[in-house]
Amino acid sequence: MDSTATNALAELVRRAQKGDEAAQHELIVSYQHRVAGFIYAMTNRSDYVEDLAQQVFIKMIRALEGLQAPAQFESWLFRLARNTCIDQLRRQKLRRIFLPFANEHENIPEASGAVGTEELDALRHALAQLRPQDRALLALVQEGRSHAEIAEVLSTSVAAVKARLHRAREHLREHYQPQS
Amino acid sequence: MKPETQAWRDLQAHAAGQLRAGFAGRVVRLAQGPTKKTWRLFLDQGAAQIRPGFAERVLRAARNLPGMPSFLDQFAYSIGTAALCAIVALYLHSRSLELESERNLATWQQIAMHVDDADPGP
Repeated sequence: MDSTATNALAELVRRAQKGDEAAQHELIVSYQHRVAGFIYAMTNRSDYVEDLAQQVFIKMIRALEGLQAPAQFESWLFRLARNTCIDQLRRQKLRRIFLPFANEHENIPEASGAVGTEELDALRHALAQLRPQDRALLALVQEGRSHAEIAEVLSTSVAAVKARLHRAREHLREHYQPQS
Repeated sequence: MKPETQAWRDLQAHAAGQLRAGFAGRVVRLAQGPTKKTWRLFLDQGAAQIRPGFAERVLRAARNLPGMPSFLDQFAYSIGTAALCAIVALYLHSRSLELESERNLATWQQIAMHVDDADPGP
């Protein structure tokens, strides 16, 4: 992002922090698709996407006032999205422990070939084999986040991000097997 | 050509015949992992789950949610709950003491009556 775009975003965030609904609306519209893609990558469930995206943006509106550095908005937003997804996955895991018979209803596989390509199905399958933390890492890279930004989102060091990213890519390649 | 060379050639041809068309492309794809295009398609599939009017729905939901309780609110709520519990506990304790005293008094009265009955007097 160039400096003009960064300044414009920081200004938009400042307006949203003051409670300007138009600015909040603009922020949601600007980020809804990227956040939805990120949530999909983390949960691998299309039926969770809108509900979780709504939770993320409601949290965003309520916590925006406390954001100290508006320029860090994107990292902050993706951290919110990541934490929301991890909470959801934890709840899902607990539900599986207490309601074992709900398992079959919860793990409805995504319709194969809904979008079409074998590669897409293979990617979905490969992602499903990874840990949510690794899925988040790979999704953030696809989002165009730098290693430093990812380190900020995950509250870790750049070196740790690089090491974990290397392992996550290896695992993804191991499980990625398009048929055609 | 020597017979063993011919045999090797035949073996190689047989082995190569086992590979399906597009083998090289598949190997390269597997080695490289998902392409940017595949990732893009995947993320777009997630983004497509957002129905029109999403931002309006989020803002409406955010408006309708009750405000976040402050630390003072939470503290006051805890104190209130603790006070209520203490009052209920004190009430139950005093009530049980009262019942116990009534029971003791009734027992003593019975004993006193038995003593009066048993004592023939001067």
